[in-house]
Amino acid sequence: MRQLLLKLGITLLVVGSIAAAALGGTYVVTSKRIEKEDRAAAAKASVEAIPGLKSPSQLKEKPKLTATAKKAVPEVTKVFSTPKGDIIVIESRGFGGIMDNAIGISPDGKVIAVSNISNKETAGLGSKTLEPTFLDKFKGKTVKDKLQVGADVQAVTGATISSRAVTGQVKKALEAFKAISGGGGSK
Amino acid sequence: MDESTSFWFEFKKGFILENPLMVLMVGLCASLAISNKFENGIFMGIAVIFVLTFSNVIIASIRKAIPDEIRIPIFIVIIASFVTIVDLSMKAYFPAAYSRLGVWIPLIVVNCIILARAEGFAYTHPVKQALADGLGMGLGYTCVVLIMGFIRELLGTGKIVMFNKTVFSLGAYGRYAPSIFILFPGAFLTFACLMALLNRYKSRKIDE
Repeated sequence: MRQLLLKLGITLLVVGSIAAAALGGTYVVTSKRIEKEDRAAAAKASVEAIPGLKSPSQLKEKPKLTATAKKAVPEVTKVFSTPKGDIIVIESRGFGGIMDNAIGISPDGKVIAVSNISNKETAGLGSKTLEPTFLDKFKGKTVKDKLQVGADVQAVTGATISSRAVTGQVKKALEAFKAISGGGGSK
Repeated sequence: MDESTSFWFEFKKGFILENPLMVLMVGLCASLAISNKFENGIFMGIAVIFVLTFSNVIIASIRKAIPDEIRIPIFIVIIASFVTIVDLSMKAYFPAAYSRLGVWIPLIVVNCIILARAEGFAYTHPVKQALADGLGMGLGYTCVVLIMGFIRELLGTGKIVMFNKTVFSLGAYGRYAPSIFILFPGAFLTFACLMALLNRYKSRKIDE
């Protein structure tokens, strides 16, 4: 009995160690690339929130602004400042899971563009709320707008929850902008 | 049966005779979920072929050293390792596809096809046949998810988009495309129709 247990234990140990070594190796090879890919994708999407910015290198994160914005709107994850306006990244739940959108806001408090960083919405349905036909509706909106699905924003048919989530994020970004720009419309 | 015909036989059976999805009906959940897009089928198919083939080969080659009492935990460790390798590599090299397939890649671990082939085939057969079985079953799986993905994406959106390019479009139909096909009911509808067709084909063959 004892011998059998020992044999089983040793077999499992050997198999487990080989598996762990193989996985460790794969992780070492891929981890840097995964990190790079994630950062590049997020930066690329963020830049698109203000058309005219050319490369992600023009983005400078402002930790101080991020902290202020976070205090007012907890869903804010990042705030970038550019000469053409601020980019506020919001993270919240959509229909399929967490989604991240970057919202570009001009210095006078108007939405310039909305760009999706990551999402888990249903392909072809909820994902339609992250396409220009829907996102362009937010252009020029300010914190004074109601921004409510059914009132001043028309939902994408069959994707009400996703539409609400995106609309809510734009509203939150505008509120965060208000907080960092000192309450008023202009800085 | 000599060696080469048995290799070919084990390879071939995964397509129709013992197709994992249409006949054995194992691992349906993932395939119904990811088949809303043709491109998903390619990546999911490659991932399944990779995991299935390697786990089959490894298990067949060490099958005599595996004690009977703990074979299942050992299978799972081996399968999970290959799945994690696929998971990490896909995340690193195909981030767009990875974000769409999401949780289904790590869930290949619990995909019944893999464990069923390990327990039901690889554990009792020599390496060569296990390799043929893994490749055949994997390709059979891939064919079905590709066909389903094609039908569902085409009927549900009116076009086939691959790597951000529209490769095939039904034109004006796209505006009226019923999105039910890319949602869950569409998966069941498509799957049921395919299965009916396959059964008809098979029963005809038997009649002959």
